[in-house]
Parts: sequence; structure tokens; C-alpha cells
Amino acid sequence: MRTVRVFYKKKGRMKFISHLDMTRFMSRLITKSKIPVWYTEGFNRHIYMNFAVPLSLGFEGLYEILEIRIMDDNFTNDDCLAALNNVTVEGIEFMSVCDQKQNMKDIGFAEYKLYFDNIPEKLEDFLNSESILCEKKGKKGKIKEIDLIPKIKKFSIENNVLDIIVVAGNEDNLNPTLIMDTFFSQTENSPLFYSVERIAILNKNCQIFE
Amino acid sequence: MDNRKFEELLLSVQKPGRYSGGEINSVIKDKEKVDVRFAFCFPDTYEIGMSHLGMKILYSQFNSRDDIWCERVFAPWTDFEEVMRRENIPLFALESRDAIKDFDFIGFTLQYEMAYTNVLNMIDLAGLPLKAADRKGLSPLVVAGGPCTCNPEPLADYVDIFFLGEGEEVDLELIDLYKEHKKKGSTKQEFLIEASKIEGVYVPSLYDIKYNDDGTVSEIENLNGAPKTIKKRIIKDFDKAFYPDKFVVPFIEIVHDRAVQEIFRGCIRGCRFCQAGYIYRPVREKSVDTINHQAKCLCENTGYDEISLSSLSTSDYREIEPLLNNMLKWTENSYVSLSLPSLRIDNFSDELLEKINHVRKSGLTFAPEAGTQRLRDVINKNVTEEEILNTCKMAFSGGYTAVKLYFMLGLPTETDEDLKGIAELGQKIVNAYYNMENKPKGKSVSVSISVSTFVPKPFTPFQFEPQITEAEIRRRQEYLKSSITTRKISLSYHDSATSFLEGVLARGDRRLGKVIEKALAMGCKFDSWTEHFNVETWKQAFAECGIDPAFYANRTREYTEIMPWEHLDFCITKEFLVRESKLAHCEKTTPNCREKCAGCGATCFGEGVCFENR
Repeated sequence: MRTVRVFYKKKGRMKFISHLDMTRFMSRLITKSKIPVWYTEGFNRHIYMNFAVPLSLGFEGLYEILEIRIMDDNFTNDDCLAALNNVTVEGIEFMSVCDQKQNMKDIGFAEYKLYFDNIPEKLEDFLNSESILCEKKGKKGKIKEIDLIPKIKKFSIENNVLDIIVVAGNEDNLNPTLIMDTFFSQTENSPLFYSVERIAILNKNCQIFE
Repeated sequence: MDNRKFEELLLSVQKPGRYSGGEINSVIKDKEKVDVRFAFCFPDTYEIGMSHLGMKILYSQFNSRDDIWCERVFAPWTDFEEVMRRENIPLFALESRDAIKDFDFIGFTLQYEMAYTNVLNMIDLAGLPLKAADRKGLSPLVVAGGPCTCNPEPLADYVDIFFLGEGEEVDLELIDLYKEHKKKGSTKQEFLIEASKIEGVYVPSLYDIKYNDDGTVSEIENLNGAPKTIKKRIIKDFDKAFYPDKFVVPFIEIVHDRAVQEIFRGCIRGCRFCQAGYIYRPVREKSVDTINHQAKCLCENTGYDEISLSSLSTSDYREIEPLLNNMLKWTENSYVSLSLPSLRIDNFSDELLEKINHVRKSGLTFAPEAGTQRLRDVINKNVTEEEILNTCKMAFSGGYTAVKLYFMLGLPTETDEDLKGIAELGQKIVNAYYNMENKPKGKSVSVSISVSTFVPKPFTPFQFEPQITEAEIRRRQEYLKSSITTRKISLSYHDSATSFLEGVLARGDRRLGKVIEKALAMGCKFDSWTEHFNVETWKQAFAECGIDPAFYANRTREYTEIMPWEHLDFCITKEFLVRESKLAHCEKTTPNCREKCAGCGATCFGEGVCFENR
């Protein structure tokens, strides 16, 4: 048995599917693909799946990562990739299947692109501020004030697109929606529609996570 | 539609997955290469519609033909409807996102009366005139099937064609006829007259209804050569009937999110309140091999990890144990859990319980329907108190600690004694648990009693009965509540106003169409959802149309009265229904189809249980 990482894109219609719905979908897709995967040993046995970083509803993802375990060593990574693409739906495209290289714990950042029709002028200044304080609901429903600036690694704005690298992973995670919501509420801009792509998941050194 | 705009709008509503389409096994075709586009509409939310087996069967069957593209349409929830109306987005099909007003067929499935406002609302959202007579062209044709077509009269002015009975064959015959007429350039009227000659096709505009001074029907006149009566269709060789080898697998969680394998149609029992028990006759079974093979295919093609067997009364399947043995061989190896709904109390065996124990354990549910033996005899629910208690004891010793029981309130001849009987039966079940010798330590028992309100339905022996009034429903609910004295029993019951409206629509006639239209105009929709149902608005709609709803719901109908559905032949004779009605009032039961033929009329099909070896 070995653990493999499946890299895929989530685009188009699929962006309307929440993370919870994705887990159910992936489990069914894997069953349909007949890949000899490992099932958990618990009371309700289910396919072992580990998603690197959940993707919010409404976002497209170009570098999504799912971990599964394959029971049969003769079933190669290429077999696995072919089996998945054989049963997939429009909007989910499997790019590669690789043996696990880095530990999931090494994930540190994610890179997003936010596409606007007309990007607000004040956004750049806002992101360059010394601190961006906002209220965030913690896991236990407690509201605490946090500063977003330390969670933003870097950003650039070009042609109405905001390219931004923010912390991601189990320990700390920043959803770019929170930045924009704070921007709209703290400046006089009324909320605008923008679409979001997550283009990469990065390790703690800001290199591509594999 | 502009894709970017559409996506922006979708992200502004709850559960956009309801409208996004693109699920596993959904069918995309090239619209230039098909002759007929069919919009299969379920007049309720995605989560409910996607759980419906009939839609899955017909969707797959239509799409198995290269010349037809069948797509799915559900009622948009009110938040998205608002967006659609504001942005002028016409009702569209999930697969292509094309507006359904340009389709050849807009087909509704009518599963319950409370969805009627949604049907009209969806026609309106499509951008079409509500009334059939105002839609002049050959297409789109608004057609409808499903159990409510056994009395579709309230929708008669809005729907072009109703299908009576099972749709697998007749729908395709109609589509073929349509193709011919489309090629010929026929008018809608020319097509409808020809269509009415197909068995099982009911064209309501070809029938004129006359009324007596007292409001009852005096005559149903057939026009333009339409048949005097329209006979329902059934699939004769059910073992060979089309069954999908794949379901569309939704992304978002739906009500019944699992593979479903049909094992037989119809029911042998003849419970006198149960419309399904009559209109789906005669009972026809699939063979063990067919079921096993189809079920396995379904699980493989959907990736579902749960499959449930579907029928009106699963334990009445003659070879249930061999079937379960065969199925458990592969379900256990592939981590698929098997569930068995609709079990009967009286033929629930130790062996069966043990089989169910192999799968995920949830509560057990039974339906005694009435609290006393007398009333159970009236409704022909042939189970005894002893059987109920024995089954519960068996379940308890098998490790179950929760039992759910279904009852009905307001049954014909019901008295307060019968209601008290419900509470007493619940108490006896609780006692049975505590009297058990090896009951699990420290575990309490829970008996849930769920009480629905009886609604008299066409083609049942109770079609002549008055429904009790709303006030009386509430009084009886209160009485029942006060009769329950232990916390081990939890009681839930249906909203009385919903049952009342359901009763009016179920036995209604064409004059109710304008009330439905009025109610919709006044904002009624999603009437089966308690948060949306507004009985006061409905009552106002009745008043403004000058129609007394009590005439339809609360009146005793004479055996000689011409019913609004008298021209629809479901092969259940009126003589039989009258005979059964009289037996009910004498508290006499009728044996089930396998014990003795009761002569209901279903033998005319020459198939099924009527011809089994006995």
C-alpha cells in the first residue's frame, strides 16, 4: 500500500460545489473509477481521502491536491490518473498522480488571483497599510480581532487582477474573501463582484508544494 | 445567457449546486443532432426532485434514444426565482442552460397535489401562457404524468396532455407521433386529436364537463373522436422493463442520496385508504437475477455506497430472502450498505432481521395506521396487535431501541376510542421493552408516533367519504396528545390546513383551476413547505373565485355520483370500490391478492399477481 497525491483542477460549473460536497463527490468518483483504494478501518468504513487545503465555494482551483492510498502496488500512478480521467465530469480535470514528496504539514501558503471588471483604485494602498484589523469568528464562535497584514506574503495588481499570496494550511489560513470584505466595509467602496482562482499551493518556503 | 453574469448570479443565492448541473452521469448531447428536446420538470426543489425514482427511469430511457435529449428542470427556490425574474432569466434546463420555452416538450411529474401552484409557476417562469388554449403552436407541449393524473382535473385547463399509468411505453409512442406531426407541419389541434387515440393518453381539452345545479358533475362528453374513457397503461413484462444502469449523482446532498433498486410494482394488500395500493395494480415482480444484476450495475456506475430496495411493501416480495442472500454477497465486499424500507409488521421474520443487521443499523419503522383492531379492520390493514408487539419484541431483542410508528387520524368511522388506542398501543410497546428479560442495561426505549391526517383519494374505497373538518382534525390531535402520558413516546402530526387543501385538490374538478391560478397570483407556491404554506391566502383565493372548498373535501359522495375522474379508467371498477366501501362500514376485511382475488378489475391486463400460481 502506498500514499499518492492526486493533482487536479476544479473549474467552471464545479466551482459551485462546496468542499463538503466535493468530499462526497470524490468518494463516488473513486468508487466508479475502480481504483483499488484503501478504506478506513472504522465503524463506518469509507475511502481514505485527505484534501490538502479546502477550496471555498465559488472559487476555481488550478492546483488542487487530494491524497489517497492505493492497495495494489501493480496499479501505477499512471493507471490511477487514467482511471480518474475516464470517469470524471466537466470541470474536474486530473493533471497528475505522484508519490507523496513533502509532508502536508509543510504547506504554508496559497496563491490566488482575483479578477475584477474594474479593480478599486484604493485597493493597493489598502493592502500596503501597516495593519488591516478585522473581526474574525474563531472556531468556538468567539469573535476576535486579527491583523491581516502578517498573513499576506506578497501581492501585485495588474490589468484588474490582484495576485496575492496568503497563509494557508492547517495552522493558519486566510481566505482572500475576508480581505475583500474588510476592504469594502472599511473603505467607501460598495461591494463589487470578482471571481477567484487559486493558482497554487505553496510550502513554507513559498515554493510549489508537491 | 452570458456565462459570467450567470455565475455571478448563482453565487448570490443559497445552494448554487441546485442550478449548476454537470453532475456525474448527466447527459449532454449536441442539440443540432436531436429531433426532440424534452424538459423533464419536477415541480419542487432539486433535493426532492432528484430523489424521485420515476424521473431517473424516464430520463435514462429517453436519453437512451439518439433522437431525444431529455434534460432536468426543478422549481427554483424563492431566492433564485427572485433573481430570475429580476434579471429576465427564463426557466432553463440544467444540462444545456437553454430556455425550456423553446423545447418540444415540457413534461411534469405530478407526485402530490400540493405542488400544483409550482407547476403553474414553472410554466410562467418559462415565459409561456398558463392556459393550454393560449399556447397556440404545436410546441412546446405541456404534458404531465405521475400518480396525480388519476384525477388531474384541477390542472385540466393548463396541461395539454396527461399520461395515465406507467410512462415507459406510452411516452415514447407519443414522442414518435409528435415527430411525424412536426415533420408534416400539423397544427396543435390536429396532433392532439391523433394523440388521444393512443391508449393511456388523456387530452383534457377534448372533454367537455357539464354540472348539475348542486355542483356535482352531470356529464363528461368526449369530443372530436376522443375515446369515451381513457385506460391507464402498465408495463406488462415488468422483468424486462427498462431500468437505468446509471443515475445522475448529485453534488449536493439530496433527500434520498443513494442508489434505488425497484423490485416490484403494485401492492397486494388493498389497504382502503391507500391510493398507491390501487392505481399501480396489478402487482408485477422482477426476478431475483434481474434485481441483483441491475442493483450491482447501478452501484458500479454511480459510486454510491448505499442501495435501497424500492416497492410499496418490500417484505411482500416473494423471494426476499434469496434476494438478500445474493445481494449481500457483493454489497459486503464493496462496502455498500443495503437498506430495506417499507417492511410490513406481519411478515417480518427473524431471518430478515438478521439480514438487515448486516447493514447499517438505524431505527425500525412500521405502519399500523390505526390504534384499534376495529379500525384496522375498517381500513383493511390486516395486522393484529399481537403481530405488532411480536415484531417490536423481535426488534428489541435484535438490539434496536428505537421504533417509529405511523398512524392516520381522521379515518372513516374513527372515534376517540380509536385515538386512545394509538396511545395505548404505544404504551404496550414501551412495556414490551421493559419486560424483556435481557434488555440492555441503562438504555432507554424510544417510540416515535407520527400521525398524518387521512385524505380521501380517488380510486380508493374511501373516495366517497367526507374528510373531517380542519377544526375537528385539530380537536382530535389535541385529544391524542392528551392521551399520551409517557415521555418514552414522542408524538408528531401533520398540519391540519395542508391536509385540508390536499383533500380539496385530490378530489377536485376543473373549476378549481382558477383557484390555483388565483392562489399563485396571490403568492402561494411551495405549498408542501410549511414555511411557505399560507392557508389564509388560499381561503381568500377560494372566496374570490366563489368556490366553497368544503364541497370537495367534507361532503359525503353518493355511490351514484359521477366523479370528476369518471372518464379515467384505472382498471379498478366502481362496483369493486362500492363493494369495498360497504365492507369497510361493516368492519369486514378483504384478503390480499395472493390469498384470494377480490375482483377489482386489474385482471384485464392479463399479467402479474392475478395470474400467479396459487
